[in-house]
Amino acid sequence: MALFSQLMPKTMRARIDAWIARRNPPSREKILLHNRRLYILPTRFGYLFSVMLALLFLAAINYQNSMAFVLTFMLTALGIISLWQTHKNLLDLEVDLLSPRPVFMGEPSEFLLNFEHRNNSFRYAVGVQYAGQVPAYLSIGPRGKAQALLKIPTHKRGQFRPKGLTVFTRYPTGLFHAWGWLQFDTPILIYPKPLFGVTLQETMVEQPDGKTSTSTIEGDDFAGLREHRKGESLRHISWKAYAQGKGLLTKTFQGQARPSLWIDWYQIPQGSIESKLSHMTALAILAENENQKYGVRLPGKTIDQDSGTAHKLACLYAIATFRQVDFDQEFDPDEQAD
Amino acid sequence: MNRQISSNLPFSAIPQEIASQSSINAVCFCFLFSITPHFRVLPLWVSGIVLVALGWRVLQNMNRVQPLPKWLIVPMVLIGGVSVFAEFWTIAGRDAGLALLTVMTSLKFLETRNHRDLLILIFLCYFLIATHFLFSQSILTAFLMLLTLIVITATLITLNQRDDSVSIRSRLIISSRLIMMSVPLMLVLFILVPRVPGPLWGLTNEQRGGVTGLSNTMSPGKISNLIRSNEVAFRVEFNGAIPAQKNLYWRGPVMSMFNGTRWYQSRRPTIDSFYLVSFDEATEYTVTLEPNGEHWLLALDIPTHLVEDSVMTADFQLTSKREINDLRRYSMISRLSYQVGMSETADYLELTVDFPEDRNPRTIAYGRELSQRYDNPEAIVQHVLTMFREQNYIYTLKPPVFRDDVMDNFLFESKRGFCEIYAGSFALLMRAAGIPARIVTGYQGGEYNQVGNYLIVRQSDAHAWTEVWIERKGWLRFDPTAAVSPDRIELGLGDALQDEILNFRIRNRNPLFGNLMYRWDNLQHNWNDWVLNYDENRQRNFLSKLDIGIESWSDMVFALIIALLSVTGLYWAVSWYRERPSKPETYEIYLNRLLRKMNKSGLEKRPSEDTRAFFKRVKSSDFQQKDQVSKVIELYNLIKYGRSDPDSQSLDNLRSLVGSIKIQAR
Repeated sequence: MALFSQLMPKTMRARIDAWIARRNPPSREKILLHNRRLYILPTRFGYLFSVMLALLFLAAINYQNSMAFVLTFMLTALGIISLWQTHKNLLDLEVDLLSPRPVFMGEPSEFLLNFEHRNNSFRYAVGVQYAGQVPAYLSIGPRGKAQALLKIPTHKRGQFRPKGLTVFTRYPTGLFHAWGWLQFDTPILIYPKPLFGVTLQETMVEQPDGKTSTSTIEGDDFAGLREHRKGESLRHISWKAYAQGKGLLTKTFQGQARPSLWIDWYQIPQGSIESKLSHMTALAILAENENQKYGVRLPGKTIDQDSGTAHKLACLYAIATFRQVDFDQEFDPDEQAD
Repeated sequence: MNRQISSNLPFSAIPQEIASQSSINAVCFCFLFSITPHFRVLPLWVSGIVLVALGWRVLQNMNRVQPLPKWLIVPMVLIGGVSVFAEFWTIAGRDAGLALLTVMTSLKFLETRNHRDLLILIFLCYFLIATHFLFSQSILTAFLMLLTLIVITATLITLNQRDDSVSIRSRLIISSRLIMMSVPLMLVLFILVPRVPGPLWGLTNEQRGGVTGLSNTMSPGKISNLIRSNEVAFRVEFNGAIPAQKNLYWRGPVMSMFNGTRWYQSRRPTIDSFYLVSFDEATEYTVTLEPNGEHWLLALDIPTHLVEDSVMTADFQLTSKREINDLRRYSMISRLSYQVGMSETADYLELTVDFPEDRNPRTIAYGRELSQRYDNPEAIVQHVLTMFREQNYIYTLKPPVFRDDVMDNFLFESKRGFCEIYAGSFALLMRAAGIPARIVTGYQGGEYNQVGNYLIVRQSDAHAWTEVWIERKGWLRFDPTAAVSPDRIELGLGDALQDEILNFRIRNRNPLFGNLMYRWDNLQHNWNDWVLNYDENRQRNFLSKLDIGIESWSDMVFALIIALLSVTGLYWAVSWYRERPSKPETYEIYLNRLLRKMNKSGLEKRPSEDTRAFFKRVKSSDFQQKDQVSKVIELYNLIKYGRSDPDSQSLDNLRSLVGSIKIQAR
């Protein structure tokens, strides 16, 4: 079959692709496999089976053997019924892709798919496959649910839309292959692979200049009092002043702030874009782990210094999607990084 | 951007899979089940190869034996092919082809690893079913093959099901359901697919094993052996009343030559027409002849028409041009009261008075004596018949056996014998007396089946009688058996020889049992008539009898498409009804309504969230009507998980609560 599609003229292939894309718009919600989303063609064995039927038919005519006719027609009927049954095995299934957790390139991305249907029928051997990977198979009971977990190898950083996810079946006879394309709008995010053996020192640590010394509630040297703000720790309230009837005042100190750092594109040692991004990823993780304040500077994009999980994710996102030309690009697990 | 999809275009390749042990075992069993009925006809060594190969494969699955090395497979295949050739001196044709297919399939099991190989083996099993029908097309075979079809399909389902938790029983049920659903479609195809007259290429007309029937020679013991078989020789439907039992002489091979012990056929020219004087109305009937492996087409004495693909010899014997190895159905017209052969050739008349002088001297002497005593041949005939009738001659299946001069011993010593010896000695006496005489073998009588209103003629009705040529009267039939045992001719063999053959005839002594047997025979007759004989003529007749305007091929194809669509449409409707989705509960509908409203609010449910997490998020958001949403959820949970069934009051409340949540379009 693959050969067949390769032999097709390019324009025809493009036209068919466009037709398929039109009929299978990316979906934000769960996909209901209705008639228009399902396709069915004979398998290699289906074709072989029809050749066998033709031979049997000729033999039956030649020998004028009635029971050979009966057998030929019986198997033909079996073929017709399995066409319908194979199609029915997928019809009205609802499939939902839960947003995959972001992973670092090289780790498998885990696609968790929920299958559900409300019909009073068994569904067997419902396969779900990602672009030529080993498929996972499910059985779903009447009005039942099932989950499939696909582990997709990742070779490229960035944010992608998972295309080439198919649900298919050959049950019950293997003569026909029914399938539907699952085009989810759910993005999958792949961070660059963190560079190994990176430390935080070096040039990334910004030397505090004069301006960075500001009054804060932490520090070494007492600087003065200011009005207490809601939410500040009671530890820093000047109880002495309160006793003097001056109201709630907070003690401030002059001192060295915690070192904050910039993970700066231009200060990363020379290398390819990908290796630089790998390096930056590693630094962001390290900085977060060491509880530092850090920001990211990329050409054309800066993320201010901060800390916390949300900040880390924002930084990693920015690094992962840096100079990704086409955000709508499909995710091909077999394609090697440039 | 759609490159990925286009490589998926028909469908993406599924990586080659290694077959699981359980599926290999299943296919081994499936093949064994399909091949076992063939063990009767396959050479012993081929059956041995099947068992050894399957056994080896199963043991290999259990890790008891090592897989055979790959280099061994090719030599084994070659040796297998050569052995088949050595056995049959061909590899084509039914028997050799079957043996070759069996050997190669068995060897295939030894190198099977992949899922794909197993599917090919399943197809070979389907093909094996067809080979069974080359040996037998009986109802029982068909039934056995239906079971085989179910087993093979269940195995195919197992291979495609990918769920080891399904029991064998439910696989068989699924398979049976598929097969049963195929039956109506099969019937439509069987009736309506235009039939083409065959054969398309040269046939090796192979004989079925162990066919009993009339032979082209007659010697003492031959027919009495045949009598012991209860097999059906042919069945006859009459257009009109069935003639009296004593007139039912079914003419088969005619024997004009005698070598002292054996009667055999002479080579006679075929004739296109003959002169016939008839004294009665024509008797019209249709014969459904079981395969007899010979050329005889049985017909009532005397047949007046030819059957397709047949000739008539000068001794009025209908002969098929091909060996009859398949069921044959033909219509025939006979005259039961007739005169033929008035102008017989002198050569032939000379042949039919000839006999070897050195055997049966007493018989020959007696014949010559009779010719001295009487001056007209009819008187001689009457004399001998009277002798049989009035002297102490006994009709028996178990006569004493003599080596030499069988007729002398019979006529003058034992006086006990069966029809063949009566006919033989009668004919010899006539020849000795100078009267041309010959033996006609065939069947006499038949058993009426009132269930289907037709006549069953069995091998046990086999009979031999004589014809004597008399000037100006032609060939006249005389049956010496009728003289000695009138019951044989009037009532049939079972009544004539009650004590000797009680055990093998169906009699109506037990009405229930007899009736059942007739019903079963009627079923077989209809099977032969409607299933096995359904060819292009039958098809045309049947369709025109239906009278729904199906006349040409294009009509048939059109009707075929309509019928197939109707049946599948009916299946679709029934299955749609039986498997229809359950209606969502009312409260689920209200909840979905709320979810749709929330989507419009901008606080939409993320794909990664389930409903519970989403509403948790709504609760902690700054959504204005979040309290009302919480109320909805509370009530929803109460209805869904509460102890009692939801009452209409709380459902109404839920609906109005959902209705009260208003979303301003943003």
